[in-house]
Formats: sequence, C-alpha cells, structure tokens
Amino acid sequence: MRRIQLAYQTKFGLLFISPAALYFAGFWVLPVALAVVASATDWRIGRPAHFIGLSNYAGLVSDPQFHHALLASLTMTGIALASIVALALVLAVALNDSGLRLSRFYKLAVFAPVVTDWVATGLAWQLIFLPNQGVLAGLFEGVGLSQWSSLRWTSTRQLAPLAVAIFVVWKMTGLYTMVFLAGLRSVPREFQEAALMDGASATQVFSRITMPLLRPITVFVVVSGFVTVIGLFEPIFMLTGGGPADATRALPIFMYETFFQFQRAGYASAAGMVFLAICLVFALLAARQLPYSFYE
Amino acid sequence: MPGAYHRLIRLSQHALLSAYSIFSLLPFLWMVSAALKRPQDVLTVPIRWIPPVWQPQNFLRALLEPRFAGENLARFMANSVMVAVITTMASILLSTIVGYGFAKFQFRLRDTLLWVMLSTTLLPFSSVIIPLFLIVRRLHMIDSLWALVIPFALTGQSIFLARQFIITVPGELLDAGRVDGAGEMQIFLRLVFPLLGPAIVTLGITTFLTSWNLFLWPLVVLSSQERFTLPLGLSLMGLGSTFLVDYHLWMAAAALAVLPPLAVFFLLERQYMRGLEALSGLKG
Repeated sequence: MRRIQLAYQTKFGLLFISPAALYFAGFWVLPVALAVVASATDWRIGRPAHFIGLSNYAGLVSDPQFHHALLASLTMTGIALASIVALALVLAVALNDSGLRLSRFYKLAVFAPVVTDWVATGLAWQLIFLPNQGVLAGLFEGVGLSQWSSLRWTSTRQLAPLAVAIFVVWKMTGLYTMVFLAGLRSVPREFQEAALMDGASATQVFSRITMPLLRPITVFVVVSGFVTVIGLFEPIFMLTGGGPADATRALPIFMYETFFQFQRAGYASAAGMVFLAICLVFALLAARQLPYSFYE
Repeated sequence: MPGAYHRLIRLSQHALLSAYSIFSLLPFLWMVSAALKRPQDVLTVPIRWIPPVWQPQNFLRALLEPRFAGENLARFMANSVMVAVITTMASILLSTIVGYGFAKFQFRLRDTLLWVMLSTTLLPFSSVIIPLFLIVRRLHMIDSLWALVIPFALTGQSIFLARQFIITVPGELLDAGRVDGAGEMQIFLRLVFPLLGPAIVTLGITTFLTSWNLFLWPLVVLSSQERFTLPLGLSLMGLGSTFLVDYHLWMAAAALAVLPPLAVFFLLERQYMRGLEALSGLKG
C-alpha cells in the first residue's frame, strides 16, 4: 500500500497543486507575458498601440532619467543592504547565547519594526527627520550637536538617499537578524566546543568555524535582501516621493510615474522587464542556496 | 571560560543589543508619546517624552473624525480587517491543499515546480505591478476589495510553508485512511488538516501581516475612499497634503495602525518565528 501507483500519485498530486498552477499562470506568467508584449509597443493608456520592436529598450538605454533611476536604486540599496547585513550578523551573534538575560526582550525589540507597516512608521520617520524641530534635531540638541539639528534630511540631494536608507535599515534589519540567528542555531555546537577544548579562542572559533558554516545563509541574505530592498516603493514614497531633484527617484518610483502619471504603458512595461530581469538573476542565485533544505 | 574575559563579552553583548533596541523602539515610543500630547507639545526641542498635558482623546478623534471625503479612520480600519481576515482564511485553505500535493505525492517535475514557485517569492512585487494592474482592470476588479484579496490568497511563500509542515505528517496515517476506503480529498480534510493546528497559526500570522501592511497595490487599484485600507488612508495624512497639519492626530492614527500587527506578533511570537525559520529553509 505504501507504494501506490505512480499514475494515481500523479493524478491526485496534480489535482491538489492545481490551484497553484492557476495562480502561477494568472499572476506571474500572464503578467510577464503581457508586459513583454506591451514593452514592444508605443502604447499609451487610451490610445491605440503600435508595434515598435525594441525601440522602448533602446530608449531606456539612452534615457538619462532611467540611468538616474538605476543609479539611485543601486546607491540606496547598496548603503542600506551593507548596513543591514553587517548589523544583522553582529546582532545575531550577540543573540545566539542561551545564557543571555533579556534575550527574549531584545529579540522582540529588534524584530518589532518588521511586522509594522511602512506608512504608519513612515509618518513617524517624517517627523523624526524634520529639520530644527524633529526628533533627530531634538536628540542632536540634547547631546550638544546643535549645528546638526538644522540638517534637511529628506530635502537635500546628499542626505535624502541616506535618510531613505536609514528608514529601510530600521525596518528590515530585524528580519535578517532572525534569519542569521536561525542559521547560527543550525551550526552544531559540538564543532565549536571541540575547538574551544583544543584551545582555540572565541574569535578563532567564530572566524574559522562559525563563519564558514554560515556562508550559504549569508549569500542568501545578501542576494534576497538585494532583491527585496531594490524593489521597495513605500519608504521612498513616504519620505521623499522621489525628490529632491530626482535624488531618490529609484526604479519602482520611475516605473510607477511613467505608467500612472505619464500613461506610457509600453515604455513603463519595458522598464519593468529590465527591472524584473535584474531581480530574476539575483533571485535565481538566492534560490540556489535554498535546496539544501528541501528534504529534511 | 569564566572570569574577566567572559564578563567583558557579556557586557558588550548587552551594550550592543540595548543600543540597537533603543534605536528600534524609539520611533514607536515617540509615536505613542506624541499621540497623547496637545499639538503644541509634539515638536519641541528639547523633546518632551512625557506629555505635559495628557490627551488620550486624540485616539478617538483620529479614529472617528471624518477626513478627506468624509470617511474616517475607523472605516479604513474595518476595510483592512475585512481584507486581511478573508485573505488569511482563503490562504490557509488553498496553501494547505497545494502544500499537501507537493508534500505527499510523487509526480514528474514536482520539485522543479516547487522551486519555481518558491523563486517567485524572491521577485519584488513592484516589478509586475503594471501588467497585474492591466489584468485586474480587465477582470473589472478595479476599486474592489476583492482585488486586494485574490492575488494574495496563494503565494509561493505560503505554499512552501504549508509544504514544510505537511511533510512531517506520517505517511502511514494516509495509507490507513486509504485502506479504510476514504477518498483523497476526505483524507486531506479529515486526517491531515486537523493535524495542522500549529502550522495554520504560523501560516495565518504571516498572511495576515502581509495583507494588513499592503500599500503599493491598494494605492494602484483603489480609488473610492470608502474602500481605502488603513495604510492608504494614513498616507493621505502625509507631508505635502493640503490638510491641516495636526501631528498629534497623525501619530494617534499611526499608533492605531501599528498596534494590531505588534499585538499579533508579541502574542504569537514563537509561531511566527517558526514560520520564518521554515521559510529561510533551515528547519522542516
């Protein structure tokens, strides 16, 4: 009975997964196919579309606005992701200690921003970054750095990408801390104990044993973090709306505006496909790190 | 390794973790403090963490006073609850059915299919939002709350979560059901589904939080204010709007919006974290 027929298994297996097939077809395959077709046209909402081949893609290659969006995306994602990975790793190592008092409190505190929404917390961060009278200004005054309290965090070209990155780091670090923590827990304790017995120092144990074993999870965090952070629309929308002077007009904002404000459906679709292709490369890299857990 | 070295490590652990916890919690503390203040006490230098005059009625005003086109926050909140609850229920049923198919049946290309669906969770939603909008428009679901439910009722993430839990259900149980002559759907509903209690909690929290926090998609598909969800309603309060800047009410509204997710998370932290571990692929 254990080995029921393959045909039977296939029939019911496919039956049970059929909702997923429907979803995948309707919400991934169809949209992407549609976007590919639309990206080869000059379609604007409300007007007839004409086939124009790869002109939209050629347009993107020479569009300074698109270059700028790409650069803004990479800048903000780079700053945010580097900080997130470094912080998450350090926090996870500090938390991975069963004898640590308050560790439950720390975990809840570090993770709390992850479960809340971008808009409510974004409203708070708008007021935190407010020059002269905001929370950050108040804190600077409090520690005697009053010359910094007039910094216009969200409305100067140099600081706006940094402000968005700080908001992203605040919101996402907890998530990757927990991913690292789960990774650390899966490192067998015996390895570390054996090394300590042999006279290795704690730093040696970490750099020679723990870190190499964490490699797959680190690669996963960097790659999936990159795709997640570069796809974020909300933090930019909430803090700067893309400004000042395009400084934070990243790809998701660029696409949104091209489509919903300028109604250029064909051109926006082409931008979406370029964006998707970038993310797909990274997603495939990240997914390759996953299969080690497919079977227990 | 006791002694001074060990104590130093402990001390630095606490220093680091408490510093980060302050950074993490400070925006929430300030939000709640501002929500209880009079407008003139909100933005002061130096910061007054304890409201000089307490105004708990700010929460009621934020919730009930009509904003924008006459709708109030309570309405947005009711919409959010409705969307999140329906999405969660649909997701629990659909993902366990699909997860069961992936976990307990052998067929060709099964693992490839699972891998492909799992990979989609790594793609940013914003990259397909334009064609998805066109499809939903064609289906005449624009400006309908169903447009917020249906695309999120089954995701690669929820399928994978369900599959990871169901794979631990013993095969003998299913075989026993088959010997007794039960149909496959019956086996799933009567024997497997009741065993999934903890998994369903994990799955439910994950879906609920995702749905509750959705912003870009509702922004794109909703246009009538009576159907706005909470994040969408809140965003209208943002800087640049022409409405009177009453920061104390903003923060009261924001605090009301972060409260349900935080409460769900604090109460069900263990289940939520287990889901996260299953998703990062470290535990079955």
